[in-house]
Amino acid sequence: MTLKQRYLRIVHALFIVFLLIQFLPNQLTTETYAGYAVWFVVGVEILTLLVSGMIKKSVSLNLFVDIVGFVYGLLIVWTLATAKFNLLKPALFPPPGKVFRQFICDYDKILVNIQSSIGIILQGYLLAIAVAVPLGLFLGWSARLGSAATYISKFLGAIPPIVYIPYGIALLPTFRSVSVFVIFLATFWPVLAGTMSGVMNIEKKTIDSAKVLNVNRFTMLFSIMLPASLQQIFIGCNQGLTVSFVLLTSAEMIGAQSGLGYYIKNYSDFGDYTRTIVGLIVVGIVIVAISFIFNRIQKFLLRWKA
Amino acid sequence: MSKIDIKHLTVDYTEKKKSFTALKDVSFSIEAGEFVSIIGSSGCGKSTLLSILEGINTPTDGQILIDGEPIKGTGADRGVVFQHYSLFPWMTARKNVAFGIKQVNKEANRSERLKIADEFLDKVGLAQFKNKYPSQLSGGMQQRVAIARALAMDTDILLMDEPFGAIDAKNRTILQELLLKLWEGDGSKERKTVVFVTHDIDESILLSDKIVMMTTNPGRVYREITVPFDRPRNRSELVQTTEYNTFRNKLLAMFYSDIADKIGEEVML
Ligand SMILES: Nc1ncnc2c1ncn2[C@@H]1O[C@H](COP(=O)(O)OP(=O)(O)OP(=O)(O)O)[C@@H](O)[C@H]1O
Ligand SMILES: [Mg+2]
Repeated sequence: MTLKQRYLRIVHALFIVFLLIQFLPNQLTTETYAGYAVWFVVGVEILTLLVSGMIKKSVSLNLFVDIVGFVYGLLIVWTLATAKFNLLKPALFPPPGKVFRQFICDYDKILVNIQSSIGIILQGYLLAIAVAVPLGLFLGWSARLGSAATYISKFLGAIPPIVYIPYGIALLPTFRSVSVFVIFLATFWPVLAGTMSGVMNIEKKTIDSAKVLNVNRFTMLFSIMLPASLQQIFIGCNQGLTVSFVLLTSAEMIGAQSGLGYYIKNYSDFGDYTRTIVGLIVVGIVIVAISFIFNRIQKFLLRWKA
Repeated sequence: MSKIDIKHLTVDYTEKKKSFTALKDVSFSIEAGEFVSIIGSSGCGKSTLLSILEGINTPTDGQILIDGEPIKGTGADRGVVFQHYSLFPWMTARKNVAFGIKQVNKEANRSERLKIADEFLDKVGLAQFKNKYPSQLSGGMQQRVAIARALAMDTDILLMDEPFGAIDAKNRTILQELLLKLWEGDGSKERKTVVFVTHDIDESILLSDKIVMMTTNPGRVYREITVPFDRPRNRSELVQTTEYNTFRNKLLAMFYSDIADKIGEEVML
């Protein structure tokens, strides 16, 4: 890619457009805090220029630039529809500057809520994987046990984990422990099923190669069958992660005193839609960040795949 | 007592309630330190016989004794090269070899294992490829890694199923020489017992002490032939001698007379 291709792009035109529309007169009578949005966009633009020089692969660079372009486009439309032309109900649709300002004001509070949500997810999720993977390897291996276990896990896995919430509440003392319990179940079944089907689908060739090396039971399970079924295990983990987020945010909206779901629900109850939008954006960013990390881990562990 | 005693071995494969006899009443024995080649046309049960020796398959009838003991599953006394590539795709070439070493040599630590692995990968000509995954290697290269693994494990018995089948002529010659050199050793250690499956008559003459010729449908031993040439053998000198060519022609004639016998039988039926 030439320097010209690297730096001369439509995104930068969108950046200029965003700055220019700030000079249009405001239709909105209340304060728009446009400065916050401008600072945000300038920050993103500087970052984009820096990153353009750094990313080597043109595919990743194009992806990054496209995302920035999308964000600029969205902010332009949002600014025009709210502050500049006042097309939407101001109470429900605050201008972007106001949202950014709120984000900065609530920064501490948001961080605490992210921590609370991610803490619960990690605890339930990692615990589930730690139990389901060895169990799945073992059940898949004892083929006869495995076939019965497949049906049992299919049946139990078919129950939507959210229905365990009332039972969990009766069973467990705190909201936090109920959430961990439900996320554990939501992750446990798909990971168990993935691991078992992964083990049962390992090629005979692979198992025989290990057998003739006379490996012991432990090595067979963890050095051979675990990597050989890793791809299927990841499918289960992925499913578990998605469901966990849905469950946790829903649960937090119902009964929690902390967490991102609680933040959103609480402020929308008070009619504070600026904060509701902040919450939505934060949830989106957290989920994207976690799936990004998850994909990286998956790619690294499966780097040997052709 | 022979090192390996194959006694009245019969193997049936049952598929969809239909049974197929792959080996019928196969008997022969292999002495300690002997290099035995098994030749025979495709489908005569060579891989089946090896799978019983490897301990991953059990016979319908008869048995195999190793050092007088019936085979019970796989064992650390046998190194194996399968007919089809058998590397673990998630390990690099050198990890594959080192992993094999780890299973038989519990004393060597990690760096010692890697050192032995590197040494053997170098011997099969793959030093530059040691950090590649199997999916990044050609079929013949994968087979060479599998050979390096079996050799590096330094087992009493080596079971090799057409190990050089997928390898080009030049590398095949190099690997034959390597195998021969490692097997003959410098006299300081006892020789390994090798069971070597091949399609290639020249290869079997060059390498072995004894050739077991098999016949197909059902798989049976047709002839056992002792190879009369002294060791160490020099390929280029050996192939020019008249003795070699007479012997080779005799083997070929046997190989085809087996087929002629078959046709005769069928005509008589
Ligand atoms: N798992 C199996 N199930 C059913 N039949 C089998 C199985 N494995 C081998 N056979 C049959 O047994 C016979 C012998 O097969 P085997 O693989 O031992 O032959 P081979 O001598 O090694 O042949 P090649 O030289 O082609 O490798 C063949 O007719 C084959 O179809
Ligand atoms: Mg075969």
